Amino acid sequence: MSLARVVASAWRENLLFSVLLELTYRCNLDCFFCYNDLGLRGEPLSREQYLRLLADLREMEVMNLTLSGGEPLAHPDFLALGARARELGFVVRIKSNGHALRGELARRVRDEVDPFLIEVSLHGATAATHDRQTRVPGSFERLLANLRELRELGLRVKLNSTLTRWNEGEIEGMFALADSLGLPLQVDPEVTPRDDGGREPLQVAPSPEGVLRLFRLQFARGRAAEEGRPEVRVARGGDDGTVPTPVHKHCGAGSSGIAIDPFGNVYPCVQWRRPVGNLHEKGIGEIWRGSAGLAEVRGLTVQVKERIGAEGPGSHLLNFCPGSAAAHAGSSLELYPAAVQRREILEQVMVEEEKRTLLPVVR
Amino acid sequence: MSFGAGFLRHPDLFPARRAGEPWGDRAVALDVAGGPYLLSGLAATQEEALRRRFGPLCGTAEAGGTATRVFRAPAADFLPIDTRGWEYTLDLDPAPDALRVAGLRLMARLDWTPALAGALWTPETAGEEWASVCENYLRLLTAHRLLEEGGALLHSAGVSDGESAWLLLGPSGAGKTTASRLCLAGGGTVLSDDLNAVLFGEGGARLRKLPFTGDLGERAGGGPRSVPLRAVLRLAQGEEEGLRPLSPAAALASLVAAAPFVNRDPFRREALLAVLERLARAVPAWEVTFSREGRLWAILQSIPP
Amino acid sequence: MIAITPATVLQRRSDVRYRRIEGEAVVLRQSAAEVLVLNEVGASVLELADGELSVGEWIDALAGEYDGDSASLARDVLAFAAELAEAGLLEPVAGGPEP
Repeated sequence: MSLARVVASAWRENLLFSVLLELTYRCNLDCFFCYNDLGLRGEPLSREQYLRLLADLREMEVMNLTLSGGEPLAHPDFLALGARARELGFVVRIKSNGHALRGELARRVRDEVDPFLIEVSLHGATAATHDRQTRVPGSFERLLANLRELRELGLRVKLNSTLTRWNEGEIEGMFALADSLGLPLQVDPEVTPRDDGGREPLQVAPSPEGVLRLFRLQFARGRAAEEGRPEVRVARGGDDGTVPTPVHKHCGAGSSGIAIDPFGNVYPCVQWRRPVGNLHEKGIGEIWRGSAGLAEVRGLTVQVKERIGAEGPGSHLLNFCPGSAAAHAGSSLELYPAAVQRREILEQVMVEEEKRTLLPVVR
Repeated sequence: MSFGAGFLRHPDLFPARRAGEPWGDRAVALDVAGGPYLLSGLAATQEEALRRRFGPLCGTAEAGGTATRVFRAPAADFLPIDTRGWEYTLDLDPAPDALRVAGLRLMARLDWTPALAGALWTPETAGEEWASVCENYLRLLTAHRLLEEGGALLHSAGVSDGESAWLLLGPSGAGKTTASRLCLAGGGTVLSDDLNAVLFGEGGARLRKLPFTGDLGERAGGGPRSVPLRAVLRLAQGEEEGLRPLSPAAALASLVAAAPFVNRDPFRREALLAVLERLARAVPAWEVTFSREGRLWAILQSIPP
Repeated sequence: MIAITPATVLQRRSDVRYRRIEGEAVVLRQSAAEVLVLNEVGASVLELADGELSVGEWIDALAGEYDGDSASLARDVLAFAAELAEAGLLEPVAGGPEP
């Protein structure tokens, strides 16, 4: 029995498993490439509406709840909603910039929310680079101090980073920093357009050389570590998930996962900004079961699977995201440059890796 | 005390960008010196309260002017403050291209990116409480916009005979309101007994009426909108009434002391000094000693143009 | 190895999160970042471990749901309870009967 099989089952049967809530677009940092659509209007969900949503999601057996934003801690009901989520048995992840996660607030998060994981953004190995991206002087030093405090509090933290033209030159330093903090670092090699279609973030998209450098480094680190430092280890024998489970969809967007913005708009996932319903009009159960938009998205993920499969072996190297495709090209089925580039660069690195293993080993 | 600690429960969560959840989709444009000032993201009750307070100065929003987006903030974000006997202050945190502001039931920021734009977060949605928050923010915004226009916002009484104006300077308690009343009684009009705008136009320095008043009412009605400035006067109270000329340096010192918000901003102080120096050289300055039962208005009129 | 008898009262540890998916249970032990998938009996055992009912009472509750002889059900439940306790998902309730 493996998690992979359960996930495949969820995709197939449209069983909602993971929900991401963008609680507010208010933020105490001002990252240059932030994807939030700050021009969005609407009636924010009330506390009562959020509590009802949590109850509904519990009934639907949703397991994963990610609290995001903007900065989720800036939402007036963050602690109350987090505490209720804990009571209801959700696996709570918090996506925070970490800037305010210290002192009493950090303690309250641990004691009242008890999250599974806090995902914090790191933008560079130096204050100059990190603060350049966050546009808040002092944010780097503050982050480091807060990370130490979070570790002392016993909170589980993971570092997330997006590779950009500004930080691609210090990627080794970023991994070294993460290692020194004893934290895993996950680096996304792609910058995406803003959710309103704005392309300014792409100005800092990493160079091909930067992406190559990242992949080489990740391969080298993978080799160096006997076992990786995965976020989740799958335990217990039987099927350990290494045998691929057949799936007919490209991903779980709209099939096992959704995202919800502060105004109650429901999306197939945080990256695919096509609204499929609104919680001011209908409950989540009704939207999940009856939304025409969701039905269409589920059909599209099947088409995406076929479309990408047609790219032949190595198609998985595209790391294709239909939501990104829709943002880049207007169509969820169209290959976008970052995906094509990613495959090319990965293929190059894999060839280098092969050559490495063919070298004679001195015994 | 670090920025915001006196007003905010979570200074760490102070917004770094002009974003959040608006109260509504209404907007007003205020026709005030340095404006128009466009306030958007308002609830209907907020729009109503502004129209009541600012009257004909409130117009419908059009393109142009300085934009401020208004957002929700929970009441719990603000520490309870005993306002009895408390003198209103704002906590300011200036930076080269930005200004953070914390105050009673308000958080705000001004950003020069590169054009000036603002944002205001408040839990107040109606009535006097909201109008006060808004006015306190507007005073600050106006001070910065006037500076951009080569002018200044000054704590002062502005009095006029319809053809020219006198600017009366003095800190709290110096007698600006008393002086205003005396001038009114003498037949003059009062532009404002608390805050006035100085701008340079053709023909020199002019005093412009602002809808921000102290103890003397009337925000929007009566009197000329903009009048040539005839003299700058530092107020002093005493029994022996009279005038004493002030050197430009002494005038400058009084003017700087009278320029709220900007005078404690190291990144904009140079620009302020340039404006006020120009004013000190352009307009004669005096110190006027007046008594509460005296002839202040006549004394002002006696100053040669 | 914790000795589990029908008199033992067990509860889920505070860092356990789980959901029923098509009869099975996906279980996350937060403190170890470990995910397990349990079959129906295991999932039912996990759900019954509310700190109130004893293992024996679980066996009674499940007897109505599953075909097959009660002896092998009892064996399975006891074995699962022990395994889940060993895996750090369940713990004896303080003040309960000694295991």
